[in-house]
Amino acid sequence: MKKSFFRYFPIFVLPTLICFFIAFFVPFVMGIYLSFTKFTTVGNASFVGLRNYITVFSASSGFWRAFFFTAAFTLVSTLTVNFFAFLLALLLTRGKRGTNFFRTVFFMPNLVGGIVLGYIWQLLINGVLNSFGVDITFAAKYGFWGLVILTNWQLIGYMMIIYIAGIQSVPKELHEVAQIDGATAFGELRHVTLPLVAPSVTICAFLTLTNSFKMFDQNLALTGGAPGRETSMLALDIYQTFYGSVGQEGVGQAKAVIFFLLVAAIAGAQLYLSRRSEAKAE
Amino acid sequence: MRTKKRVLDILWFVLLTLLTVAFLFPVFAVLINSFKGQLYITSSPFSFPTGETFAGLANYLNGIRKIRFFEAFGYSLFITVASVALIVLGTSMTAWFLIRNKSKFSSFLYYLFVFSMIVPFQMVMFTMSKVANTLNLENPVGIVLLYLGFGAGLSVFMFGGFIRGIPRSVEEAAEIDGCTPISKFFLVVFPLLKPITVTVAVLNAMWIWNDYLLPYLVIGSKYRTIPVAVQYLQGGYGSRDIGALMAMLVLAIIPIVVFYALAQKSIIKGVIAGAVKG
Amino acid sequence: MKKLLFFTLLLTVGLAFCSCGKREGVYFFNFKPEIAEKYERLAEIYEEETGVPVRVVTAASGTYEQTLKSEIVKKDAPAIFQINGPVGYAAWKDYCMDLSQSELYRHLTDKTLAISDGAGVYGIPYVVEGYGIIYNEEITDKYFALSNKGTTYQSMDEIRSFAALKALVEDMTAHKSELGIEGVFASTSLKSGEDWRFQTHLANVPLYYEFLDKGVDLKKPATYANVEFSYAEGYRNLFDLYLNNSVTDKKLLGSVQVADSMAEFALGRCAMVQNGNWAYSQVAEVTGNTVKADKVHFLPLYIGSAEEESQGLCTGTEGYFAINKNLSEEQKKQALDFLTWMFTSETGKAFVTEELDFIAPFDTFTDADKPKDPLSREISDWLEKEEVYNVPWIFTVFPGQNFKTDFGSALLQYAQGSKSFDEVKEIFVRRWKEESEKLS
Repeated sequence: MKKSFFRYFPIFVLPTLICFFIAFFVPFVMGIYLSFTKFTTVGNASFVGLRNYITVFSASSGFWRAFFFTAAFTLVSTLTVNFFAFLLALLLTRGKRGTNFFRTVFFMPNLVGGIVLGYIWQLLINGVLNSFGVDITFAAKYGFWGLVILTNWQLIGYMMIIYIAGIQSVPKELHEVAQIDGATAFGELRHVTLPLVAPSVTICAFLTLTNSFKMFDQNLALTGGAPGRETSMLALDIYQTFYGSVGQEGVGQAKAVIFFLLVAAIAGAQLYLSRRSEAKAE
Repeated sequence: MRTKKRVLDILWFVLLTLLTVAFLFPVFAVLINSFKGQLYITSSPFSFPTGETFAGLANYLNGIRKIRFFEAFGYSLFITVASVALIVLGTSMTAWFLIRNKSKFSSFLYYLFVFSMIVPFQMVMFTMSKVANTLNLENPVGIVLLYLGFGAGLSVFMFGGFIRGIPRSVEEAAEIDGCTPISKFFLVVFPLLKPITVTVAVLNAMWIWNDYLLPYLVIGSKYRTIPVAVQYLQGGYGSRDIGALMAMLVLAIIPIVVFYALAQKSIIKGVIAGAVKG
Repeated sequence: MKKLLFFTLLLTVGLAFCSCGKREGVYFFNFKPEIAEKYERLAEIYEEETGVPVRVVTAASGTYEQTLKSEIVKKDAPAIFQINGPVGYAAWKDYCMDLSQSELYRHLTDKTLAISDGAGVYGIPYVVEGYGIIYNEEITDKYFALSNKGTTYQSMDEIRSFAALKALVEDMTAHKSELGIEGVFASTSLKSGEDWRFQTHLANVPLYYEFLDKGVDLKKPATYANVEFSYAEGYRNLFDLYLNNSVTDKKLLGSVQVADSMAEFALGRCAMVQNGNWAYSQVAEVTGNTVKADKVHFLPLYIGSAEEESQGLCTGTEGYFAINKNLSEEQKKQALDFLTWMFTSETGKAFVTEELDFIAPFDTFTDADKPKDPLSREISDWLEKEEVYNVPWIFTVFPGQNFKTDFGSALLQYAQGSKSFDEVKEIFVRRWKEESEKLS
């Protein structure tokens, strides 16, 4: 066993592992190191301790503004996307003719890439705002709601599909029992459907959450952060700190490390919650 | 009772048809604007092109020339196909090997792969482009290796989960026949992985085809993929050609629609499976 | 089968590592996307003549500095890049080679134009540009021929002050239907990112006079860390004239782009537009263009200052070539050779004047080498007028993009009526101070 392990390891694992080290592991470790330095390229990094992190949390770095904008956006879009997706899923699980066609259409926007999405909605939103003599870059609130609408358009179909799968897994007998017991349509939804699709809700909530929290392409194309950098979310803010200003690379890298920790925390919460509900189910 | 049901049915149908129109409207708006003269796009984005505003194919020809669309299409296609093929091949082999050869070392590697899933790209964007630069990976072939490396986490995780569910007895029969691990993997295991392979392929294809920042930072100044090329049309100093932008958006959507029409079932299935696993 | 697959994998890895990063020739990192194709043609001509390949790489507009930042740390870094003035030099000084001994610098007509820290020369201007109010002479002539006009002017030569301009414009507005125009001025494009004609170019004029009064030395940032915007009234007068005599209602200016304004001018819907010689191609490219090449001229930006009768156009440069000092001697020499060839050889010069339409500030260019597009020719004519003084570009020392963006959005709010001009002035002064502090 041991012998064959070493004999076949280079064939089965090594090529992927080498690429993994080049594209992920080495850059990741270097990234953590660089966040404690001042640098313009990897070669001239000089250690500065925690100074970059202190700068990140100071008022002028823009981190807090980006963080609160991202948090508000993530909250609003997670709620709206899941609400509408669930409604659509209810409408599309009644076994009527044409259901398949509608599903196909609603799912389609999900395949369009973020940059293209951003420009599509820029046209539409500016088209509407145009009649008021402004455009999306005029005030941060326009950019905010623009991003929410865009995200809804993109993700509703996706989440809808997952909810449909969840709803369809509810055994028919349960509905029949409920109807015999004389439950109203709403009561049936509340006491039969909802508890059983709870796992789908967790999945969808976290998918929307992570997607919105890490959003970059759509943000770049729709507003580019304008006006000023007021509509930059965390990912875009990191990018702008890195490439859009002078001498801020270390701060940008420190922001990236904090961003990673936040994303990891969300993933941890998701893991914990889904483990717990699995344990309950057993 | 019957009529009430009929009324509800009709209401249902009308409501969903309206929603469909609303969902398709954005794409439709881009399509009609792509045939209008530049000047009329910002001023009246929701009207049809008429005699004065109709620009024919001018926007398309302009855009294709400006951003070299077909070149970009070629790069996007090559990078996506090659990366997906390599990811499927490389990570399925890796996942199988690590799962079937239990040791501390192999589970350490497995969890290292899984860990990379939660790291956002911004964390490594600068250092990865630096490493790619040092190793001369700044070309369409090199970037495929980066995609294998950066995409390995999710794919190893998904293959791994699936492989755990395959009973060992299936493979043991092959061992008795005296197969090497290589032929065992390709003749016995790999065919069994087909459902998850489709999922992995779809998820990675969608990610890589639409990816912007990685190709922009690594090869963007020399080879432009479609998202990078579209972004290249962005405005500034009065040179923004919004007509060409509309036309290029249409051309960027067409391959996706075609792909979706051809493989709709696998795509939807893949996405659900991916969501539930991830 | 499996061996084959494995070898394909190895081969791909191998291939990627072999495709060498160091490439021959000159890496030219171009700033102007609108003329990228022309530069590429120039590079081909150069390679045919000398055998040295030149690679032109262009960043999307608005992303030059970002892309430069990621490119310049690479092994295959740009050899020739562009800085936009003293502020740009401050950001890129670690990469700028001293050019004081170069042949190109020797040919520079006005040595004060170059970017220098006193000892070395780090950026050489390669194009002189100018801006003012572009007008369509056919329409103004039509006005002068009107029998019922309310002024006594007979030609544009008489418009030599803000007061004269205001009288002319307002009377033209009164007769706009007879002139066949929708407004005298093209829309004042105040969409964010499209407002540079006003937050940068127009603001240059009042600050020029303020700096003159105060004796500011542009080489010493401390002397202009604070401004008063003392000529704000003059700025406002001209800006109001644009807003009130425009094609578009001033409440609707927040979505107008520069391209829209230039198209309005090209289609003959208006008579005047504030812009520079670089905009001619934008006018000429519009389908249905009615503007005749010999009928477009410039008028200075009058803001009612004391000696405005002899005020000329705003001329200067934002484009300086710099050479990456971290490259090998061979690469640096090749880069310099290319630039020298571009501005001194017959082929290079012909291309610069005929294709790029540059007014090149080098003594190798004679009167015969003037660019052919009418607006660029106008600029060189104005530069030669003995009796006028030109307003130099001082906006290159404006304290960064954030200042300009905030001033621009204040202007939009003023146009829409939600801010008074006093508030705009207050923002200008305050943001200037704040952003200057960040830079020092």
